[in-house]
Amino acid sequence: MSPKHLSRDTKRFLWIGILPSALLYGLFVVWPAINALMYSFTRWDGLSTPVWIGIDNFVNLFKSGSDFVTAISHNIYLTVVPGSIILTLALFFAWMIHLKVAGSTLFRVTFFFPNVIASVAVALLWVLLYSTTEMGPINNIRQALHMEKVPFLESARLLQSIVPMMVWSATGFYLVLFLAAMENIPVDYYEAAHLDGASPTLQFIRITLPLMWDVLTTGIIFLIVGGLKFFDAVWVMENGRPSPATHTMSSLMYAKVFEEYNVGYGTAIAVLLFVLVLIITRISMRLLKRERLEY
Amino acid sequence: MAAGCHFEPITSDETKTIEVALFEGGFGIEWHKDMARQYEQLHPGVKINLWGDPRVDEKIKPRVLRGNPPDLASCTLPVWKLITAGRLYPMDDALASPAYGAKGKTWKETLRAGVLADYVYENKTYALPSNLGVWACWYSKKLFREHGWDAPSTWDELTALCEKMLAAGIAPLAFQGKYPQYAWSTILSCYQRLVPFEKWYAIEDFTKGAFLDPSFVKAADLMQELAVKYFQKGALAMTHTESQMEWANGRAGMVFCGLWLKKEMEKALPDDFEMACFAVPMVTGGTGDPKAIYSGGGESFFIFRDAKHPEIAADFLKFLLSIEPARDYVKRNDSLTPVIDCQVGIKISSALQSAVDAIEGSTRMYSDRLNTLYIEWHRTLVQQAQADLLRGAITGQQFADRLEAGAEAVRNNSNIYKPPARGVPAL
Amino acid sequence: MRGSLLEKLGTLVRTGVLGLWMLGVVLPMFWVLATSLKSTKEVTRSPFGIPDALAHPGAKTFAVIAENYSKAWIGSGFSTYFWNSLKVVSISLVLILLLGSMAAYCLSRFEFRGRNAIYNAFVAGLLIPMQLILIPLFFQYADWSDVLTRSFAPIARALQLGNLTVSLHNSHEGIILIYIAASLPFTIFTLTSFFGTLPGGVREAAMIDGASEARTFFTVMLPLAKPGLITVAIFNFLGLWNEYLFGIVFLADNKLKTLPLGLASISMQAQYKSDFGLMFAGLVITMVPTLVVYLLLQRHLTKGITAGAVKG
Repeated sequence: MSPKHLSRDTKRFLWIGILPSALLYGLFVVWPAINALMYSFTRWDGLSTPVWIGIDNFVNLFKSGSDFVTAISHNIYLTVVPGSIILTLALFFAWMIHLKVAGSTLFRVTFFFPNVIASVAVALLWVLLYSTTEMGPINNIRQALHMEKVPFLESARLLQSIVPMMVWSATGFYLVLFLAAMENIPVDYYEAAHLDGASPTLQFIRITLPLMWDVLTTGIIFLIVGGLKFFDAVWVMENGRPSPATHTMSSLMYAKVFEEYNVGYGTAIAVLLFVLVLIITRISMRLLKRERLEY
Repeated sequence: MAAGCHFEPITSDETKTIEVALFEGGFGIEWHKDMARQYEQLHPGVKINLWGDPRVDEKIKPRVLRGNPPDLASCTLPVWKLITAGRLYPMDDALASPAYGAKGKTWKETLRAGVLADYVYENKTYALPSNLGVWACWYSKKLFREHGWDAPSTWDELTALCEKMLAAGIAPLAFQGKYPQYAWSTILSCYQRLVPFEKWYAIEDFTKGAFLDPSFVKAADLMQELAVKYFQKGALAMTHTESQMEWANGRAGMVFCGLWLKKEMEKALPDDFEMACFAVPMVTGGTGDPKAIYSGGGESFFIFRDAKHPEIAADFLKFLLSIEPARDYVKRNDSLTPVIDCQVGIKISSALQSAVDAIEGSTRMYSDRLNTLYIEWHRTLVQQAQADLLRGAITGQQFADRLEAGAEAVRNNSNIYKPPARGVPAL
Repeated sequence: MRGSLLEKLGTLVRTGVLGLWMLGVVLPMFWVLATSLKSTKEVTRSPFGIPDALAHPGAKTFAVIAENYSKAWIGSGFSTYFWNSLKVVSISLVLILLLGSMAAYCLSRFEFRGRNAIYNAFVAGLLIPMQLILIPLFFQYADWSDVLTRSFAPIARALQLGNLTVSLHNSHEGIILIYIAASLPFTIFTLTSFFGTLPGGVREAAMIDGASEARTFFTVMLPLAKPGLITVAIFNFLGLWNEYLFGIVFLADNKLKTLPLGLASISMQAQYKSDFGLMFAGLVITMVPTLVVYLLLQRHLTKGITAGAVKG
């Protein structure tokens, strides 16, 4: 349809259709995002007038030993370690369900449970599981096996303790995703391979993985971006007061602005987070996407 | 109402309403509510809208930032930032005015001198504490009696007692491990036993090199020894209520804590517990005053300059911190206020009595303001350093070095306000 | 060969392994459920035993359950948190779907000047993390509340309605606006591609019959878009229902808190009071509704994820 010949009715509909969304988006997403950039170049305590300091905030963020550098390392840790385990397990389990199991629907449905629960609830559930008091199950089991109780929730150990929790809660989603991708692969390929004498493992490597590469990529990107934004569990498990040993970028940002009243510095963290998401998404898409295999 | 619209009924010009926002924690806000009603009766024409919440600072933060703050508040907002940004209302006029319930005295004269100086900026007073605390080591007299133990009066006796407890199968010290700052007052008290006050107040004044004093390192080492050898197993992962529960249940023998402990653990303490305390013991060979006690103000109140009726807020605060309401506070909360003699003439619990005895028998009450003055330093650097120290991951020397390095950064940072050095305050 | 022993063994092993994982997922939840049936004293006494309520059912043990849950539901306000979540999320969802689908439809099936620019602007929003806009929105809301109060207060006073203060902070409306705005990029992106797959002649056919654009959209196109709408609705629902960070900044009032915030604040309170029974009950109240909704709708969810997987 040519743009020149839009009827009045159509034009009106277009306006009504797009304007509210554009307005909301502009006012409550775009405008604040621009402001964030501005704040990050100032020194401001939220109370007095902001003072322009150029890129000082960013420079300070990257000074050696700065709490930001530590926080980023935590984000990286929380992305790579649980992420690799999650991807492996999800692929593994999906492949197993795909091959054939009894009760696959039951598995599919229950594995997804943790994804549905609020991350806050998951964190609190694990706080209870990890408790060092009389009622903590994991420590109780350790004691029954004559092992020492472990203070899983102490700040020095918290991030390591979060890894099992993340694996527990996220694997289900990726499993469903990968399983769906696997089931989209036509059976003929497998039958042909089987006739050629290929083992299931070989079939997995040569057929399944390449043909679900897109979805795998998407999954990896989700994991990485999620790892960058990680906030809820750390916040809740540290009772709203993370320490340098447990801060992630998001929690550090919150603490800097709302507790230390250092708005410029905190916003600079937010801006960097945004830039990182941008960069990583583009790089991942370039590196991991191959040509979409048509079948 | 829609879109966060809030309609307050238009009262006649005669009635002035002030809003009081409170932190609702271990002590609750019942006393505050009752005092508000009493004040309204004394002053018809004034209404007090008083409310409390454990997250009160979250709620009033946006209002503080944009000019619609409550009149009077007691919460964990960074008071010094508000003071230096000019957002608070000075209380000196109210302090110089006659006190409630004390003939012939100004309000200032009825309060303990030490607490008045805590929030002075450019010669004006901007905040006052409503609670007077004591940092001590708490135990059950019943437990001690059963085992034939005595409260220690020297550090060596303390460690010996810990050994005895270990042998008896009781964890010597409970510790609120998720909050390593609970060790701060113990370390500082230990340091005070080791050095004369001129040295100790150098820390409070953030004098260059103050943390590198060998005695401070020794205090850190002593604290570490307590932590590594005598803290309850798993304490570092416990919250304050969890660890204090362990203490209340008799699985741990002692716990260092402030005066809020009894009220906070009220429901969990067995009736025959017989709670008592002893001050941080003297370290043999130390040159500090063995009879001083770590005691300072808490639950501070401040008034916003942009509030509708700051003078009335100041007057209400004067009422709260006057003798009769103070007595009521002591009775209800089993704690102390900065009003002099607030506990005289009322029956108090044995727990409070032992704290009072410690104060009355002391030569000086001292405390530090470092956690309110230097939030960034205290909340991150010190918290982390303490966590590492208590885990045994760093030595006392490294601990002191870290604190000093952080202090140096604060000293060089012109954006952080540092009050002028006070030296040793007059008694 | 079909039905060979080795194959059967393989299936058994696989089922076993997956079964173990399933136990790992489900057991903690059962433990929480069971513990919520115990009183605090019983929890400290016997954290892993069968709850008294099940082993020795009777008036007394049922009273314990009732106490835990009523303390959570009424005393600690979980009923409020639940209704708040329901209110905030459903209002947001309806508006997101309405506004998002209209915009997506316009952007996908019409050509006009600036269409690409607008579309790209929305899609760019996919990359904007919520953290970036959190802080500026905080101050923006403070400023706007100030301006709104100052503009409308005199009118309110003149109309004898009272002394008006407007606050975008601490209001459901305020956070709903943010939720909608922040969800539009994903919604519009997904629905635009979805509308793109719909057959071409439908709109023309409806128009020839004399329907207006709006009528066509609501009566013809929207129903066709149902699968896409359901997928988008489910993803948005999950994200908003469990949202936490913005909640703690913009909803400080207990009366207004949503379920995740309520749960977090209860766990702090329960710490203050060491009330385990309450904590477990609260956790159950938070977990169970979403699980129930999930169980009812899981087929749609899987379909949606599958569709996403197929499209890549």
